[in-house]
Amino acid sequence: MTNLLLLAGVFVFSFGLGYFLISRIPPLLHTPLMSMTNAISAVTILGVLILFSVGSTPAEQAMGGVAVIMAAFNLVGGFAITDRMLNMFKNKGEGGQEP
Amino acid sequence: MMDTHTAVSLFFDLAVIGMLLLGIWLFGAPHTARRGNMAAALALAGAAGLILMRNGAHHPWLLLFCLLAGSSAGYVVARKVDMIQIPAMVAFQHGAGGVAAFMLSFAELMRGAGRLGVLNEISGLLGLAIGALTFSGSLVAAGKLANKLRQAPVFLSRHTRVTLMSLSVILGLIIAAMVMPETGRPAVYLLLILVSALFGIVFSMRIGGADMPVLISFLNATAGVAAAFCGMIIENKLLISCGATVAASGSILTHVMCRAMNRSLLHVFLPKGRPQPVPPGQRQERGEKEKNESGQKWGHEENQPVVDRAGAERGEGFSRALEHAANAQRVIIVPGYGMAVAQAQFALLELAGKLMAMGKSVKFAIHPVAGRMPGHMNVLLAEAGIDYDLLVEMDEINPEFSKTDLTLVVGACDVVNPAAIEVDGSPISGMPILLTHESKAVVCCNLDSEPGYSGVENPLYGNGNTIMLMGDAKESVQHLADHLLDMPVGRPGEPGTPGMPDGDPAGDRMETAVNALAAAKRIIVIPGYGMAVAQAQFKVAELAALLEQRGADVKFAIHPVAGRMPGHMNVLLAEAEVDYEDLCEMDEINPEFQDADVAIVFGACDVVNPAAMESEGTPISGMPILSAHEAGRVIVCNFNADPGYSGVKNTLYEDPKTLFLQGDAGSTAGDLIYGLKTAN
Repeated sequence: MTNLLLLAGVFVFSFGLGYFLISRIPPLLHTPLMSMTNAISAVTILGVLILFSVGSTPAEQAMGGVAVIMAAFNLVGGFAITDRMLNMFKNKGEGGQEP
Repeated sequence: MMDTHTAVSLFFDLAVIGMLLLGIWLFGAPHTARRGNMAAALALAGAAGLILMRNGAHHPWLLLFCLLAGSSAGYVVARKVDMIQIPAMVAFQHGAGGVAAFMLSFAELMRGAGRLGVLNEISGLLGLAIGALTFSGSLVAAGKLANKLRQAPVFLSRHTRVTLMSLSVILGLIIAAMVMPETGRPAVYLLLILVSALFGIVFSMRIGGADMPVLISFLNATAGVAAAFCGMIIENKLLISCGATVAASGSILTHVMCRAMNRSLLHVFLPKGRPQPVPPGQRQERGEKEKNESGQKWGHEENQPVVDRAGAERGEGFSRALEHAANAQRVIIVPGYGMAVAQAQFALLELAGKLMAMGKSVKFAIHPVAGRMPGHMNVLLAEAGIDYDLLVEMDEINPEFSKTDLTLVVGACDVVNPAAIEVDGSPISGMPILLTHESKAVVCCNLDSEPGYSGVENPLYGNGNTIMLMGDAKESVQHLADHLLDMPVGRPGEPGTPGMPDGDPAGDRMETAVNALAAAKRIIVIPGYGMAVAQAQFKVAELAALLEQRGADVKFAIHPVAGRMPGHMNVLLAEAEVDYEDLCEMDEINPEFQDADVAIVFGACDVVNPAAMESEGTPISGMPILSAHEAGRVIVCNFNADPGYSGVKNTLYEDPKTLFLQGDAGSTAGDLIYGLKTAN
């Protein structure tokens, strides 16, 4: 039970911290932000890897396989497209060190 | 139960989380965002590596194959996809995340049957449901965003009831799954996935194209929640943490989008039907009222989106005068008795209004004896409705003439006669005058160049920097006012601009628009979904670059819900290599519209509709808009003049200062570029 409370605490704390961190991201970057967080949500791939770490039935393997494909697509595709988008955001004073 | 709770593993977990947070932190500014994205990607890759190292894999080849297949597909799609398809791509990826989440939940529930705690099991079931609805909802969203599905909301009969019923069936199935004997559970799980997927479809099908920013942000949040629930089943803190962060991000975006559209989430998701257009009667009234208001403000303003060509045959003096007027920053107007005789004050006010709208400083210099009674000019100008703060007494304004670019003399003679100071012994010598001759240029709108009441020749008329516009002052001033926005281009744009038939009103409008852009110092570009549809961002960016090259200050005004997803316009313009520093958010740019000479709209409608502020009870009333109507001149490059998604007629189109260039936004931008280049 204490473990579950801890997990709920992790959720609440992460949500709060995420809220704080993400609130300061300017609307200019909202599309890349959505794309990046989308890639982060593919963190489920870790769960599938854990699933694969123990012996499993063929049905589980099939489901795990689909999940890995989808999550990997999401993960790699999400970060790659975010990077591509961000690369387009150009600035005249590129290389400027303004905060 | 999967975690090995050793200090070392905890350290690595923390390192991964720290890296991820650093990534999100770096994402907060455009120039570090790319590094932030990298950091987040590395964090997740590191986490995956750690898990593989710690636990190994029972079916390494299968796993490797799936990993490679998914990754390479993701990478190739990310490299190849057009920027126009980004919203659809992101929506599709949300769907992929949903699939991964419900597959994982399903597998864990099957395997853990009987061994899972109650809360883990509830988490699993929720992960199943939310994952499935995220999947199907995202597919609908992706379809709409990719134009594969109809943009319009699709309504079933009793749609809200169907939605709520399927939601309660989902809850019922979750409860059933908890109390069922184990053998029946897989069937319930499958049913739960099916019903949730149906719910996702029912739920998102009636959200129309323009509300997609809300839906896509919301699905972003649900994908995060689904991942967090997956983490709850297997009690993995990293999954929970990442899922919660994504959920937070999606919630923020959903909230921002709703606020920007002035709609509640409930209103977007459970609409009562299509937005109702305003009844025609009401619309008419509003249009009339607005016209009257602007009429009062600027005197007899003609309703003239199309500049008439009547004065085109006027001589060189007029074009030079217009050139000066267009280029001047400080303008002083000197009214005299001739203005009163010609009743030119209204035309004068129109001209003054336009000059001010172009960002110029305009003042009226009032000589104590101008006119036929003390304060004559003040009365006439007040009659026309000019702000008395702009009427400046002689002693106060005289020091300013030397800093003035243009002085416009309207029907005044003796009071501006330099002979009063320069020539001794004349009847007016020693009389205090307005020092108009000190300004850089003088334009005189007098009936003739005869001496005034004093009979003393006015040397001002013969000065090199004086332009005489002889004739009725009212007509001359009106001509200046009408043609001001044509300047300073010596020769108006070619009549045969591509796509614009010769000599028709559209061609005239194009010409006027080109001239307005050529003369403008401050320009604000407003992109909308129409720009995305027409793929006009490259032409728009080219036009902006050209205008900047000509010395104008060009900014882009980005409405939070312009387009189909948060920040949609930013991405498109970034694709066209527009400097992101020029992309201004609504709150930041709105105060600048009143100083802007030209606001140019590409495919935006509702986000610039002043009706949002003016009329109560329309679907958009209260929605924050970009104040394009405050700019000196508005150019609208839209496909048609129909109302936007809200169904509310756009009163901006009826504004006399609006030039409507109908047609494909990309070719209109191309025509403007052509016009500007050939005008030189």
